[in-house]
Amino acid sequence: MRQKKIHNGGFVLVEFAIALPLLVLVLYALGLVSVNIYKLGKDQLADYVLESEARYAMERITQAARVAKEIELEGSEEHGSGKIKIVYHAVEDSSDYYTMKDKSPKYYLYSDRDVLETRIFVSYKKKDRKYVNLYTERKNNIYTNPITGENFFGDTTLNHLDFDLNKTKKILHINLEMESVVTEHKIKIATAVFMPGYKSE
Amino acid sequence: MPKIFLVITFTGALVNFKNCDIFFAMRKILNQRGFMMLNVVFLTLIASLAAMILMNAATRVRNPQSTLRLTALYVANEQLAQMESLAARSIEPTEEILVKDADLKTTNFTGEPIEFTVDTEIVGSKCTVTVSWAVKGQEDSVTVERTIWIAPKEDS
Repeated sequence: MRQKKIHNGGFVLVEFAIALPLLVLVLYALGLVSVNIYKLGKDQLADYVLESEARYAMERITQAARVAKEIELEGSEEHGSGKIKIVYHAVEDSSDYYTMKDKSPKYYLYSDRDVLETRIFVSYKKKDRKYVNLYTERKNNIYTNPITGENFFGDTTLNHLDFDLNKTKKILHINLEMESVVTEHKIKIATAVFMPGYKSE
Repeated sequence: MPKIFLVITFTGALVNFKNCDIFFAMRKILNQRGFMMLNVVFLTLIASLAAMILMNAATRVRNPQSTLRLTALYVANEQLAQMESLAARSIEPTEEILVKDADLKTTNFTGEPIEFTVDTEIVGSKCTVTVSWAVKGQEDSVTVERTIWIAPKEDS
């Protein structure tokens, strides 16, 4: 009886000697797949951040430009890079409100004047930052509100931000390129905004 | 894992109290159901691990169209903005491409060059702009609509 069990023990040893390397191989393969999945997930998250930040930055600029009254570019009058100052109509100056003035006095404040706001978009490298980001501020010389960059899931940098202003057509052409620091993927967005309320003088 | 071995070994030793040889008890258990049970545990663990990893991978398939849709959307808006500008100057917009040539070309994340095609359709005051492109034979498009009124001429 004992002799038989010792024989079986040898079989178990051989079985174990075959199974163990197989097990190691399988675990190694699974480990490799896991690492790749992790990298892919990290890259995709960084790309997502890049796309959403580019979209947000562009949307902010186009929204302000659409209602612009005055545009000031860094550079020449018609071509600028990196910085734009937009003076825009904060309240719609619609003639419909005037007709309502007598009927409902609460509209009076909003109908009788043209409320203007100033918004500056500027790209630069902050002292403690390695990359160029887009910032916005309502007053000149204090750039404290970041629009892009410093996202925990993937940092981004602004490669270039160009503006072309056509005063006759009342068209502002915006060209934006951003890059993900994590994946080094680039996204280029270009568009034009028609500014019905723009005054060339 | 050694803890499991120890537990099995000592349990085996207790069961086989007549033969107090621990090594003999261990060998007996490894020979028989203990080892089989261990195999089942291992296989289950590996199979569940593999299933978890592969299911995770399935949702992370890279999308070659990434961000192109956004670029195309802004190209369509550029075309509409140019048409609005014409209409505001009392010029009737046509279906020609008004987008800058440089804006019609871009690259996707893998560096593949992409070219956008702009199609404009004007029905009354409703303007429809469709921007289409293709990546590796896979076609996609974005359609944007806007109502554009042509401003009356000042002298009329």
